Amino acid sequence: MSVPEVFPLSVGPITGHAFNADRSQVCVSLNTNEAQVMAYDGTGWKTTETLSEHDKLITSIDWAPNSNRIVTCSQDRNAYVWTQVPDPQTGVVTWKPTLVLLRINRAATFVRWSPHEDKFAVASGARAIAVCSFDEENNWWVSRLLKKPIRSTVLSIDWHPNNVLLAAGSADQKARVFSAFIKDVDKRPGPTVWGDKLPFNTVCGEWASPNGGWVHSVAFSPSGDAMAFVSHDSSISVVYPAGPGLITIKTTILPYVTLAWTSEGSLVTAGHDCQPHVFQGSENGWAMVGSLDSSKGSHRHTGQRNQIEAFNRFRQADSRGSQSEEDTELLPTVHQNTITSVRAFDGTPEQVIRVSTTGVDGKLVLWDANAVAPVAGLTGKMGGLRM
Amino acid sequence: MDTAFRKINVDLFDEEALLPSELYDPDPRAAAQVLADTREKSGAVRGSLSRGDIAGALEVVLDQAPYGEGVDEAKALNLSSVLLILNSTKTSDIPSLVKHLTQQQQDTLMKYLYKGMAQQGDHADVNGSVMLGWHERLTEVAGIGCIVRVMTDRRTV
Repeated sequence: MSVPEVFPLSVGPITGHAFNADRSQVCVSLNTNEAQVMAYDGTGWKTTETLSEHDKLITSIDWAPNSNRIVTCSQDRNAYVWTQVPDPQTGVVTWKPTLVLLRINRAATFVRWSPHEDKFAVASGARAIAVCSFDEENNWWVSRLLKKPIRSTVLSIDWHPNNVLLAAGSADQKARVFSAFIKDVDKRPGPTVWGDKLPFNTVCGEWASPNGGWVHSVAFSPSGDAMAFVSHDSSISVVYPAGPGLITIKTTILPYVTLAWTSEGSLVTAGHDCQPHVFQGSENGWAMVGSLDSSKGSHRHTGQRNQIEAFNRFRQADSRGSQSEEDTELLPTVHQNTITSVRAFDGTPEQVIRVSTTGVDGKLVLWDANAVAPVAGLTGKMGGLRM
Repeated sequence: MDTAFRKINVDLFDEEALLPSELYDPDPRAAAQVLADTREKSGAVRGSLSRGDIAGALEVVLDQAPYGEGVDEAKALNLSSVLLILNSTKTSDIPSLVKHLTQQQQDTLMKYLYKGMAQQGDHADVNGSVMLGWHERLTEVAGIGCIVRVMTDRRTV
Protein backbone atom coordinates (compact mmCIF):
# COMPACT_ATOMS: atom_id res chain seq x y z
CA MET A 1 0.00 0.00 0.00
CA SER A 2 2.44 2.57 -1.09
CA VAL A 3 0.02 4.70 -3.10
CA PRO A 4 -1.09 7.61 -0.93
CA GLU A 5 -4.82 8.08 -0.48
CA VAL A 6 -5.77 11.59 -1.51
CA PHE A 7 -8.97 13.31 -0.40
CA PRO A 8 -9.60 16.81 -1.73
CA LEU A 9 -11.68 18.41 1.04
CA SER A 10 -11.80 22.01 -0.15
CA VAL A 11 -10.37 24.47 -2.64
CA GLY A 12 -8.94 26.67 0.08
CA PRO A 13 -6.49 25.90 2.85
CA ILE A 14 -7.10 23.43 5.68
CA THR A 15 -5.92 25.11 8.87
CA GLY A 16 -5.95 22.03 11.09
CA HIS A 17 -7.08 18.45 11.21
CA ALA A 18 -7.66 15.82 13.89
CA PHE A 19 -9.03 12.28 13.63
CA ASN A 20 -11.15 10.49 16.22
CA ALA A 21 -9.96 7.33 17.98
CA ASP A 22 -11.04 4.78 15.34
CA ARG A 23 -10.18 7.14 12.45
CA SER A 24 -13.73 6.98 11.06
CA GLN A 25 -14.24 10.71 11.50
CA VAL A 26 -12.07 13.76 11.05
CA CYS A 27 -12.50 17.28 12.34
CA VAL A 28 -11.09 19.96 10.04
CA SER A 29 -11.23 23.70 9.73
CA LEU A 30 -11.34 24.96 6.18
CA ASN A 31 -9.79 28.37 6.87
CA THR A 32 -12.99 29.72 8.46
CA ASN A 33 -14.39 30.33 11.93
CA GLU A 34 -16.18 26.96 11.76
CA ALA A 35 -14.91 23.44 12.15
CA GLN A 36 -16.41 20.53 10.21
CA VAL A 37 -16.80 17.03 11.59
CA MET A 38 -16.60 14.70 8.61
CA ALA A 39 -17.29 10.99 8.28
CA TYR A 40 -16.08 8.62 5.57
CA ASP A 41 -18.96 7.22 3.52
CA GLY A 42 -16.99 4.87 1.27
CA THR A 43 -16.33 7.42 -1.45
CA GLY A 44 -15.25 10.52 0.36
CA TRP A 45 -15.41 12.57 3.54
CA LYS A 46 -18.86 14.13 4.08
CA THR A 47 -19.65 16.78 6.65
CA THR A 48 -21.90 15.39 9.37
CA GLU A 49 -21.82 18.35 11.71
CA THR A 50 -20.50 21.89 11.77
CA LEU A 51 -19.01 23.29 14.95
CA SER A 52 -19.71 27.01 14.89
CA GLU A 53 -19.07 29.07 17.98
CA HIS A 54 -15.81 30.89 17.23
CA ASP A 55 -15.91 34.45 15.84
CA LYS A 56 -12.62 34.30 13.99
CA LEU A 57 -10.44 31.84 12.12
CA ILE A 58 -9.89 28.52 13.86
CA THR A 59 -6.15 27.95 14.10
CA SER A 60 -5.88 24.48 15.55
CA ILE A 61 -7.95 21.41 16.43
CA ASP A 62 -7.30 18.34 18.56
CA TRP A 63 -9.47 15.30 19.23
CA ALA A 64 -8.93 13.34 22.47
CA PRO A 65 -9.13 9.65 21.49
CA ASN A 66 -10.27 8.13 24.79
CA SER A 67 -12.62 10.76 26.20
CA ASN A 68 -13.91 11.63 22.69
CA ARG A 69 -13.72 15.38 23.16
CA ILE A 70 -12.69 17.96 20.59
CA VAL A 71 -10.84 21.13 21.50
CA THR A 72 -10.60 24.04 19.08
CA CYS A 73 -8.77 27.34 19.42
CA SER A 74 -9.03 30.46 17.35
CA GLN A 75 -7.80 33.93 16.58
CA ASP A 76 -10.72 35.22 18.66
CA ARG A 77 -8.54 34.34 21.73
CA ASN A 78 -10.91 31.60 22.84
CA ALA A 79 -10.84 27.86 23.05
CA TYR A 80 -13.87 25.56 23.19
CA VAL A 81 -14.09 22.01 24.41
CA TRP A 82 -16.74 20.11 22.44
CA THR A 83 -18.53 17.08 23.90
CA GLN A 84 -21.23 14.88 22.40
CA VAL A 85 -24.45 15.14 24.37
CA PRO A 86 -28.02 14.08 23.55
CA ASP A 87 -30.47 16.91 23.01
CA PRO A 88 -32.95 16.96 25.96
CA GLN A 89 -35.98 17.24 23.66
CA THR A 90 -35.20 15.15 20.60
CA GLY A 91 -32.49 12.85 21.96
CA VAL A 92 -30.30 13.54 18.94
CA VAL A 93 -26.60 13.46 19.86
CA THR A 94 -24.83 16.67 18.95
CA TRP A 95 -21.52 18.39 19.74
CA LYS A 96 -21.93 21.01 22.46
CA PRO A 97 -19.28 23.67 23.17
CA THR A 98 -17.89 24.70 26.56
CA LEU A 99 -15.99 27.98 26.67
CA VAL A 100 -12.53 27.89 28.23
CA LEU A 101 -11.24 30.98 30.04
CA LEU A 102 -7.80 31.29 28.50
CA ARG A 103 -6.93 34.75 29.86
CA ILE A 104 -4.81 35.67 26.83
CA ASN A 105 -4.98 38.95 24.92
CA ARG A 106 -3.75 37.72 21.55
CA ALA A 107 -4.78 35.00 19.11
CA ALA A 108 -4.56 31.38 20.17
CA THR A 109 -2.32 29.57 17.70
CA PHE A 110 -2.09 25.90 18.60
CA VAL A 111 -3.83 23.41 20.90
CA ARG A 112 -3.08 19.85 22.03
CA TRP A 113 -4.64 17.48 24.59
CA SER A 114 -2.26 15.98 27.12
CA PRO A 115 -1.73 12.20 26.88
CA HIS A 116 -4.05 11.53 29.87
CA GLU A 117 -6.63 13.94 28.40
CA ASP A 118 -7.14 15.70 31.74
CA LYS A 119 -5.33 18.85 30.54
CA PHE A 120 -4.71 20.65 27.32
CA ALA A 121 -2.33 23.42 26.36
CA VAL A 122 -3.06 26.40 24.13
CA ALA A 123 -0.21 28.33 22.51
CA SER A 124 -0.81 31.98 21.79
CA GLY A 125 0.50 35.23 20.42
CA ALA A 126 0.37 36.70 23.94
CA ARG A 127 3.87 35.29 24.64
CA ALA A 128 2.24 32.65 26.78
CA ILE A 129 0.97 29.11 26.83
CA ALA A 130 -2.32 28.50 28.63
CA VAL A 131 -2.34 25.13 30.39
CA CYS A 132 -5.98 24.26 31.03
CA SER A 133 -7.44 21.77 33.47
CA PHE A 134 -11.00 21.04 34.56
CA ASP A 135 -12.17 22.51 37.85
CA GLU A 136 -14.80 20.07 39.17
CA GLU A 137 -16.01 22.43 41.89
CA ASN A 138 -16.99 25.22 39.54
CA ASN A 139 -17.63 22.97 36.55
CA TRP A 140 -15.42 24.90 34.16
CA TRP A 141 -12.02 24.79 32.50
CA VAL A 142 -9.42 27.02 34.14
CA SER A 143 -6.08 28.00 32.72
CA ARG A 144 -2.67 28.72 34.17
CA LEU A 145 -0.21 30.63 32.03
CA LEU A 146 3.34 29.61 31.21
CA LYS A 147 4.99 32.96 30.51
CA LYS A 148 8.66 33.12 31.30
CA PRO A 149 10.93 33.28 29.37
CA ILE A 150 8.84 33.35 26.18
CA ARG A 151 9.58 36.49 24.17
CA SER A 152 7.27 36.09 21.20
CA THR A 153 4.35 34.17 19.70
CA VAL A 154 4.30 30.47 20.52
CA LEU A 155 3.73 28.56 17.29
CA SER A 156 3.51 24.93 18.35
CA ILE A 157 3.47 22.69 21.38
CA ASP A 158 3.75 18.99 22.16
CA TRP A 159 3.17 16.96 25.32
CA HIS A 160 5.67 14.56 26.84
CA PRO A 161 4.22 11.06 27.41
CA ASN A 162 4.45 11.66 31.20
CA ASN A 163 1.61 14.23 30.97
CA VAL A 164 3.70 16.91 32.70
CA LEU A 165 6.39 18.20 30.37
CA LEU A 166 5.50 20.42 27.46
CA ALA A 167 7.66 21.34 24.46
CA ALA A 168 7.04 24.68 22.78
CA GLY A 169 8.40 26.24 19.61
CA SER A 170 8.26 29.97 19.35
CA ALA A 171 8.81 32.91 16.98
CA ASP A 172 11.62 34.14 19.25
CA GLN A 173 13.66 31.40 17.52
CA LYS A 174 13.79 29.06 20.52
CA ALA A 175 12.45 25.61 21.24
CA ARG A 176 11.86 25.08 24.96
CA VAL A 177 10.77 22.35 27.33
CA PHE A 178 8.56 23.45 30.23
CA SER A 179 6.96 21.77 33.17
CA ALA A 180 3.18 22.07 33.04
CA PHE A 181 2.70 20.31 36.38
CA ILE A 182 -0.66 21.09 37.97
CA LYS A 183 -0.97 20.05 41.58
CA ASP A 184 -4.63 19.03 41.62
CA VAL A 185 -4.43 17.01 38.42
CA ASP A 186 -1.00 15.42 38.22
CA LYS A 187 0.77 12.96 40.41
CA ARG A 188 4.38 13.83 41.07
CA PRO A 189 6.22 12.62 37.95
CA GLY A 190 9.26 10.38 38.12
CA PRO A 191 12.65 11.75 37.07
CA THR A 192 13.16 12.19 33.33
CA VAL A 193 16.13 13.07 31.19
CA TRP A 194 14.78 16.63 31.19
CA GLY A 195 14.99 17.03 34.97
CA ASP A 196 13.59 15.59 38.20
CA LYS A 197 12.17 18.51 40.16
CA LEU A 198 9.37 19.94 38.09
CA PRO A 199 7.16 22.64 39.63
CA PHE A 200 4.94 24.58 37.22
CA ASN A 201 6.84 26.78 34.71
CA THR A 202 10.23 25.13 35.28
CA VAL A 203 12.24 25.67 32.11
CA CYS A 204 14.02 22.37 31.49
CA GLY A 205 15.92 23.60 28.47
CA GLU A 206 16.13 26.06 25.65
CA TRP A 207 17.55 25.38 22.20
CA ALA A 208 17.91 27.19 18.89
CA SER A 209 19.19 26.08 15.53
CA PRO A 210 22.48 27.72 14.50
CA ASN A 211 20.92 30.04 11.92
CA GLY A 212 17.88 30.90 14.02
CA GLY A 213 14.46 31.27 12.47
CA TRP A 214 10.96 30.74 13.83
CA VAL A 215 10.51 27.32 15.36
CA HIS A 216 7.49 26.07 13.44
CA SER A 217 6.95 22.70 15.04
CA VAL A 218 8.16 20.66 18.01
CA ALA A 219 7.60 17.04 19.01
CA PHE A 220 8.79 14.61 21.67
CA SER A 221 9.92 11.18 20.55
CA PRO A 222 7.63 8.26 21.57
CA SER A 223 9.76 7.58 24.68
CA GLY A 224 9.94 11.28 25.52
CA ASP A 225 13.72 11.12 25.83
CA ALA A 226 14.35 13.19 22.70
CA MET A 227 12.70 16.21 21.15
CA ALA A 228 12.78 17.34 17.53
CA PHE A 229 12.01 20.74 16.08
CA VAL A 230 11.96 22.31 12.64
CA SER A 231 12.76 25.96 12.11
CA HIS A 232 12.60 28.49 9.32
CA ASP A 233 16.27 28.20 8.39
CA SER A 234 15.42 25.01 6.46
CA SER A 235 16.80 22.87 9.22
CA ILE A 236 15.65 20.11 11.51
CA SER A 237 17.14 19.61 14.96
CA VAL A 238 16.92 16.73 17.41
CA VAL A 239 17.75 17.26 21.08
CA TYR A 240 19.09 14.47 23.31
CA PRO A 241 19.49 16.11 26.74
CA ALA A 242 21.07 12.99 28.22
CA GLY A 243 23.36 12.39 25.26
CA PRO A 244 25.01 14.57 22.66
CA GLY A 245 22.64 17.51 23.06
CA LEU A 246 21.61 19.25 19.85
CA ILE A 247 21.93 17.58 16.45
CA THR A 248 21.06 19.88 13.53
CA ILE A 249 20.66 18.98 9.88
CA LYS A 250 20.58 21.84 7.40
CA THR A 251 18.70 20.92 4.25
CA THR A 252 19.02 22.26 0.73
CA ILE A 253 15.28 22.90 0.31
CA LEU A 254 12.55 25.23 1.51
CA PRO A 255 11.76 25.16 5.26
CA TYR A 256 9.66 22.52 6.95
CA VAL A 257 6.73 23.68 9.08
CA THR A 258 5.50 20.47 10.68
CA LEU A 259 6.83 17.15 11.91
CA ALA A 260 5.72 13.89 13.52
CA TRP A 261 7.71 11.01 14.98
CA THR A 262 6.94 7.60 13.47
CA SER A 263 9.21 5.57 15.78
CA GLU A 264 12.01 6.21 18.25
CA GLY A 265 14.44 6.46 15.35
CA SER A 266 12.46 8.06 12.55
CA LEU A 267 10.30 11.07 11.88
CA VAL A 268 8.35 12.65 9.06
CA THR A 269 8.67 16.34 8.24
CA ALA A 270 6.76 18.43 5.72
CA GLY A 271 6.38 22.04 4.77
CA HIS A 272 6.98 24.50 1.96
CA ASP A 273 8.54 21.82 -0.24
CA CYS A 274 5.03 20.25 -0.54
CA GLN A 275 6.14 16.70 0.20
CA PRO A 276 6.72 14.68 3.39
CA HIS A 277 10.35 13.76 3.97
CA VAL A 278 11.59 10.97 6.22
CA PHE A 279 14.55 11.35 8.56
CA GLN A 280 16.14 8.49 10.46
CA GLY A 281 18.79 8.41 13.11
CA SER A 282 19.75 8.02 16.73
CA GLU A 283 21.92 9.74 19.27
CA ASN A 284 24.81 9.11 16.92
CA GLY A 285 23.40 11.27 14.14
CA TRP A 286 20.46 11.86 11.87
CA ALA A 287 20.06 11.92 8.09
CA MET A 288 17.34 12.32 5.51
CA VAL A 289 16.48 8.98 3.93
CA GLY A 290 13.90 10.06 1.37
CA SER A 291 10.39 11.18 0.61
CA LEU A 292 7.01 9.53 1.09
CA ASP A 293 5.98 11.16 -2.18
CA SER A 294 7.12 8.89 -5.01
CA SER A 295 5.26 10.87 -7.72
CA LYS A 296 7.13 11.14 -10.98
CA GLY A 297 9.43 14.10 -10.83
CA SER A 298 8.84 14.90 -7.18
CA HIS A 299 12.57 14.56 -6.62
CA ARG A 300 13.05 17.58 -8.82
CA HIS A 301 12.48 20.08 -6.09
CA THR A 302 12.09 23.77 -6.67
CA GLY A 303 15.26 25.70 -7.06
CA GLN A 304 16.96 23.14 -9.27
CA ARG A 305 15.93 25.06 -12.33
CA ASN A 306 19.07 26.78 -13.55
CA GLN A 307 19.63 30.27 -14.79
CA ILE A 308 19.53 29.45 -18.52
CA GLU A 309 16.27 27.57 -18.14
CA ALA A 310 14.68 30.44 -16.28
CA PHE A 311 16.01 32.91 -18.84
CA ASN A 312 14.55 30.91 -21.72
CA ARG A 313 11.18 30.71 -20.06
CA PHE A 314 10.99 34.44 -19.57
CA ARG A 315 12.19 35.08 -23.13
CA GLN A 316 9.55 32.74 -24.50
CA ALA A 317 6.83 34.34 -22.43
CA ASP A 318 8.01 37.73 -23.63
CA SER A 319 8.45 37.05 -27.38
CA ARG A 320 5.50 34.74 -27.93
CA GLY A 321 3.25 36.06 -25.24
CA SER A 322 2.58 32.46 -24.41
CA GLN A 323 3.36 30.33 -21.45
CA SER A 324 5.08 27.04 -21.93
CA GLU A 325 3.28 23.87 -20.98
CA GLU A 326 5.36 23.59 -17.89
CA ASP A 327 3.93 26.80 -16.50
CA THR A 328 0.37 25.56 -16.46
CA GLU A 329 1.35 22.13 -15.28
CA LEU A 330 0.63 21.11 -11.72
CA LEU A 331 3.41 20.57 -9.24
CA PRO A 332 4.92 17.11 -9.55
CA THR A 333 4.06 16.39 -5.91
CA VAL A 334 0.80 15.03 -4.48
CA HIS A 335 0.22 18.14 -2.39
CA GLN A 336 -0.05 21.22 -4.55
CA ASN A 337 0.90 23.68 -1.84
CA THR A 338 2.57 23.93 1.56
CA ILE A 339 1.81 21.08 3.94
CA THR A 340 0.90 22.63 7.28
CA SER A 341 0.15 19.59 9.41
CA VAL A 342 1.43 16.02 9.58
CA ARG A 343 0.05 13.63 12.22
CA ALA A 344 0.25 9.93 13.01
CA PHE A 345 -2.78 8.09 11.58
CA ASP A 346 -2.54 4.46 12.68
CA GLY A 347 -0.17 2.06 14.38
CA THR A 348 1.32 2.77 17.78
CA PRO A 349 3.47 5.78 18.71
CA GLU A 350 6.50 3.47 18.62
CA GLN A 351 5.60 2.11 15.18
CA VAL A 352 3.39 4.40 13.16
CA ILE A 353 2.01 2.72 10.03
CA ARG A 354 0.41 5.66 8.26
CA VAL A 355 0.56 9.43 8.64
CA SER A 356 -2.00 12.01 7.54
CA THR A 357 -1.16 15.40 6.08
CA THR A 358 -3.19 18.49 5.28
CA GLY A 359 -2.11 21.72 3.74
CA VAL A 360 -2.85 24.96 1.98
CA ASP A 361 -4.08 23.10 -1.12
CA GLY A 362 -7.13 21.75 0.76
CA LYS A 363 -6.11 18.11 0.44
CA LEU A 364 -6.10 15.44 3.13
CA VAL A 365 -3.60 12.70 2.26
CA LEU A 366 -2.86 9.39 3.99
CA TRP A 367 0.67 8.06 3.46
CA ASP A 368 2.30 4.74 4.22
CA ALA A 369 4.95 5.90 6.70
CA ASN A 370 7.35 3.16 5.65
CA ALA A 371 7.15 3.51 1.87
CA VAL A 372 10.17 5.78 1.57
CA ALA A 373 11.26 6.74 -1.92
CA PRO A 374 14.84 7.95 -2.26
CA VAL A 375 15.16 11.59 -3.25
CA ALA A 376 17.65 12.00 -6.07
CA GLY A 377 20.10 14.80 -5.54
CA LEU A 378 19.06 15.26 -1.95
CA THR A 379 19.95 12.09 -0.12
CA GLY A 380 23.21 11.80 -2.00
CA LYS A 381 24.35 15.10 -0.57
CA MET A 382 22.92 14.45 2.86
CA GLY A 383 24.81 11.17 3.01
CA GLY A 384 28.10 12.98 3.26
CA LEU A 385 26.91 15.26 6.02
CA ARG A 386 28.97 15.62 9.13
CA MET A 387 26.94 15.78 12.26
CA MET B 1 -1.27 69.67 14.82
CA ASP B 2 1.66 68.43 16.78
CA THR B 3 3.01 65.30 15.12
CA ALA B 4 6.25 64.99 17.06
CA PHE B 5 4.76 62.11 19.02
CA ARG B 6 4.92 60.00 15.90
CA LYS B 7 8.70 60.02 16.11
CA ILE B 8 8.76 58.63 19.63
CA ASN B 9 10.41 55.23 19.77
CA VAL B 10 7.67 53.39 21.62
CA ASP B 11 9.85 50.33 22.07
CA LEU B 12 11.87 52.30 24.64
CA PHE B 13 8.81 52.37 26.89
CA ASP B 14 7.92 48.73 26.42
CA GLU B 15 9.90 46.63 28.84
CA GLU B 16 8.95 43.47 27.03
CA ALA B 17 9.94 44.67 23.55
CA LEU B 18 11.95 42.08 21.71
CA LEU B 19 15.03 43.77 20.26
CA PRO B 20 16.72 42.52 17.09
CA SER B 21 19.96 41.98 19.01
CA GLU B 22 18.21 39.53 21.34
CA LEU B 23 17.48 37.17 18.50
CA TYR B 24 21.03 35.87 18.19
CA ASP B 25 23.99 35.07 20.38
CA PRO B 26 26.42 38.00 20.27
CA ASP B 27 29.97 37.55 19.07
CA PRO B 28 32.02 36.63 22.16
CA ARG B 29 34.87 38.83 20.93
CA ALA B 30 34.99 42.53 21.73
CA ALA B 31 34.43 44.96 18.87
CA ALA B 32 38.09 46.06 18.85
CA GLN B 33 39.21 42.44 18.81
CA VAL B 34 36.89 41.69 15.88
CA LEU B 35 38.39 44.59 13.93
CA ALA B 36 41.95 43.49 14.70
CA ASP B 37 41.14 39.90 13.66
CA THR B 38 39.54 41.09 10.45
CA ARG B 39 42.56 43.28 9.61
CA GLU B 40 44.81 40.31 10.16
CA LYS B 41 42.60 38.14 7.95
CA SER B 42 42.57 40.78 5.26
CA GLY B 43 46.35 40.60 5.15
CA ALA B 44 46.28 36.80 5.09
CA VAL B 45 43.81 36.88 2.20
CA ARG B 46 46.10 39.10 0.15
CA GLY B 47 48.98 36.76 0.91
CA SER B 48 47.01 33.68 -0.15
CA LEU B 49 45.79 35.36 -3.31
CA SER B 50 49.31 36.34 -4.34
CA ARG B 51 50.24 32.66 -4.01
CA GLY B 52 47.16 31.75 -6.06
CA ASP B 53 45.60 29.89 -3.12
CA ILE B 54 41.98 30.93 -3.55
CA ALA B 55 40.51 28.05 -1.53
CA GLY B 56 42.70 28.99 1.41
CA ALA B 57 41.77 32.67 1.13
CA LEU B 58 38.05 31.83 1.07
CA GLU B 59 38.39 29.66 4.13
CA VAL B 60 40.14 32.40 6.07
CA VAL B 61 37.66 35.10 5.16
CA LEU B 62 34.51 33.05 5.77
CA ASP B 63 35.48 31.72 9.19
CA GLN B 64 34.43 33.92 12.11
CA ALA B 65 33.09 36.63 9.83
CA PRO B 66 32.16 39.75 11.83
CA TYR B 67 28.45 40.03 12.60
CA GLY B 68 26.14 41.93 14.91
CA GLU B 69 26.14 45.54 16.01
CA GLY B 70 29.02 47.99 16.46
CA VAL B 71 31.45 46.32 14.09
CA ASP B 72 30.62 48.17 10.89
CA GLU B 73 34.23 48.90 10.05
CA ALA B 74 35.20 45.26 10.36
CA LYS B 75 32.18 44.26 8.31
CA ALA B 76 33.13 46.61 5.48
CA LEU B 77 36.73 45.42 5.57
CA ASN B 78 35.72 41.76 5.42
CA LEU B 79 33.33 42.46 2.55
CA SER B 80 36.21 44.03 0.61
CA SER B 81 38.32 40.93 1.26
CA VAL B 82 35.52 38.68 0.03
CA LEU B 83 34.98 40.78 -3.08
CA LEU B 84 38.71 40.69 -3.81
CA ILE B 85 38.58 36.89 -3.77
CA LEU B 86 35.40 36.66 -5.82
CA ASN B 87 36.76 38.99 -8.49
CA SER B 88 40.09 37.21 -8.82
CA THR B 89 38.63 33.72 -9.33
CA LYS B 90 38.33 32.12 -12.76
CA THR B 91 34.73 31.19 -13.58
CA SER B 92 35.69 27.59 -14.24
CA ASP B 93 37.15 27.23 -10.74
CA ILE B 94 34.00 28.30 -8.90
CA PRO B 95 32.11 24.95 -8.83
CA SER B 96 34.91 23.02 -7.16
CA LEU B 97 35.61 25.88 -4.74
CA VAL B 98 32.04 26.09 -3.44
CA LYS B 99 31.75 22.32 -3.27
CA HIS B 100 34.66 22.11 -0.84
CA LEU B 101 33.30 24.67 1.60
CA THR B 102 31.56 23.48 4.77
CA GLN B 103 27.83 24.21 5.10
CA GLN B 104 28.62 26.97 7.55
CA GLN B 105 31.01 28.57 5.08
CA GLN B 106 28.53 28.20 2.23
CA ASP B 107 25.89 30.02 4.27
CA THR B 108 28.34 32.81 5.07
CA LEU B 109 29.45 33.12 1.45
CA MET B 110 25.81 33.43 0.39
CA LYS B 111 25.36 36.23 2.93
CA TYR B 112 28.26 38.12 1.32
CA LEU B 113 26.87 37.53 -2.17
CA TYR B 114 23.58 39.14 -1.17
CA LYS B 115 25.33 41.93 0.67
CA GLY B 116 27.51 42.56 -2.38
CA MET B 117 24.55 42.58 -4.74
CA ALA B 118 22.74 45.01 -2.44
CA GLN B 119 25.68 47.41 -2.70
CA GLN B 120 26.07 47.31 -6.44
CA GLY B 121 26.71 50.83 -7.62
CA ASP B 122 27.86 52.04 -4.21
CA HIS B 123 30.82 49.76 -4.05
CA ALA B 124 33.41 49.93 -6.83
CA ASP B 125 34.44 46.29 -6.44
CA VAL B 126 31.00 44.82 -6.99
CA ASN B 127 30.61 43.30 -10.40
CA GLY B 128 27.05 42.08 -11.05
CA SER B 129 27.92 39.28 -13.43
CA VAL B 130 30.63 37.93 -11.11
CA MET B 131 28.13 37.95 -8.23
CA LEU B 132 25.47 36.16 -10.25
CA GLY B 133 27.98 33.60 -11.48
CA TRP B 134 28.98 32.72 -7.92
CA HIS B 135 25.35 32.79 -6.80
CA GLU B 136 24.31 30.30 -9.47
CA ARG B 137 27.13 27.88 -8.71
CA LEU B 138 26.62 28.14 -4.96
CA THR B 139 22.86 27.55 -5.27
CA GLU B 140 23.51 24.44 -7.36
CA VAL B 141 25.57 23.00 -4.53
CA ALA B 142 23.89 24.34 -1.38
CA GLY B 143 20.31 24.56 -2.67
CA ILE B 144 17.70 27.16 -1.87
CA GLY B 145 17.95 26.09 1.76
CA CYS B 146 21.14 28.16 1.80
CA ILE B 147 19.28 31.24 0.53
CA VAL B 148 16.53 30.71 3.10
CA ARG B 149 19.18 30.62 5.84
CA VAL B 150 20.60 33.94 4.67
CA MET B 151 17.16 35.53 4.91
CA THR B 152 16.46 33.94 8.28
CA ASP B 153 19.77 34.45 10.03
CA ARG B 154 19.85 37.58 12.19
CA ARG B 155 23.64 37.45 12.41
CA THR B 156 24.04 39.73 9.41
CA VAL B 157 27.50 40.21 8.03
